[in-house]
Amino acid sequence: MVREQLAREQRRKATLWTSVIAAAALLVAGVVGYGIFAAQRSGDVFTPTAATADGSGFAVGTGPVTVDVYEDFMCPACGEFESTAGATIAQLVTDKKVTVVYHPIAILDRFSQGTNYSTRASGAAACAADGGKFAEYHKVLFANRPEENTPGLDDTKLISLGTELGLGDPFTQCVQDGKYKTWSAQITDKSSERGVTGTPTVYVAGTALKDRSPAGLTTAVESAVK
Amino acid sequence: MWDRAGPWAGLVARLGLAGVWLYAGGTKVGDLAASGRAVNAYQIMPFGVAQVIGAMLPLVEIVVGLLLLAGLATRTAAAFSALLLAVFIVGIASAWARGLQIDCGCFGSGGQLASGESPTYGWEIARDIGFLILAGYLLLRPDSRFSADRRFTAGPAQR
Repeated sequence: MVREQLAREQRRKATLWTSVIAAAALLVAGVVGYGIFAAQRSGDVFTPTAATADGSGFAVGTGPVTVDVYEDFMCPACGEFESTAGATIAQLVTDKKVTVVYHPIAILDRFSQGTNYSTRASGAAACAADGGKFAEYHKVLFANRPEENTPGLDDTKLISLGTELGLGDPFTQCVQDGKYKTWSAQITDKSSERGVTGTPTVYVAGTALKDRSPAGLTTAVESAVK
Repeated sequence: MWDRAGPWAGLVARLGLAGVWLYAGGTKVGDLAASGRAVNAYQIMPFGVAQVIGAMLPLVEIVVGLLLLAGLATRTAAAFSALLLAVFIVGIASAWARGLQIDCGCFGSGGQLASGESPTYGWEIARDIGFLILAGYLLLRPDSRFSADRRFTAGPAQR
């Protein structure tokens, strides 16, 4: 009888201690996770000089209506948006109706088999902006958009695409150094903070655009002018 | 009859739930920033808080998974699982009610829907309720075959 009581007491203690250890392990896991994240987020952020005032994108055009375009250079729907609405945007820019602000965010890094193509492409676009060729490079990157679940374009290819546009050594150096890696992470965070949960996301004069067809875009811009 | 089958059922529930957590954590741990964005996509807490929770979650999920895999502190791990799942279900239901267009971010999508995809809140909630049932079973009957608990407590764990 006594022996059974003792055994039960011992089991109770063992259960209690394993529970305490488990709870501690969970707590430690959370703290370590946050620590890793904080370490990843440390490091200097260089904001491209060509960026907009808040540093989160690149403006093309001088029109009165601001169109914010959030894109990832690997995103299929963005490629589609560029091929269907790209000409309309270019026309609206030429007609001085809109200022397009491109935010080259990186949300699809997990689809490039560990090469973080989205971040590299975003950074390379910022490097091209330093050389005054953002719009051109943006277009070329979408013309060469790799499919998801491939390694994407390697840095050599990212550089040669820029060189073909006349970008020089500073561009090459900038891509090789991954100079804007932290900046890409920062603008991606900013986009999430603004409520962007996918790409492409388009805002016309600050309002999210639901119909991203050329007609939908034109209508939204025209009603924003009034 | 049940005395013999129970611990086997416990083993199945334990390994099943362990697999869910290890997979959920494993798909998220490689990109902690994306995990934070997935939490933020629910628009329930300020961005800074969502980032912290998102950074903590994947490793926590992995540790719960490991505890269940080993069968160590099964009841505590089951209780924590149930708590987390309840929070997830409430979160998804709230996103649904507010008409947000997001992915639950349960398994490392960063909260974004793939292009052309519609939210599947009903399915996500049903799935989480299934997991919640596993956790509930283990909470009530934590004893299972091949568990560390049995080894450390030298016999079937107490009810």
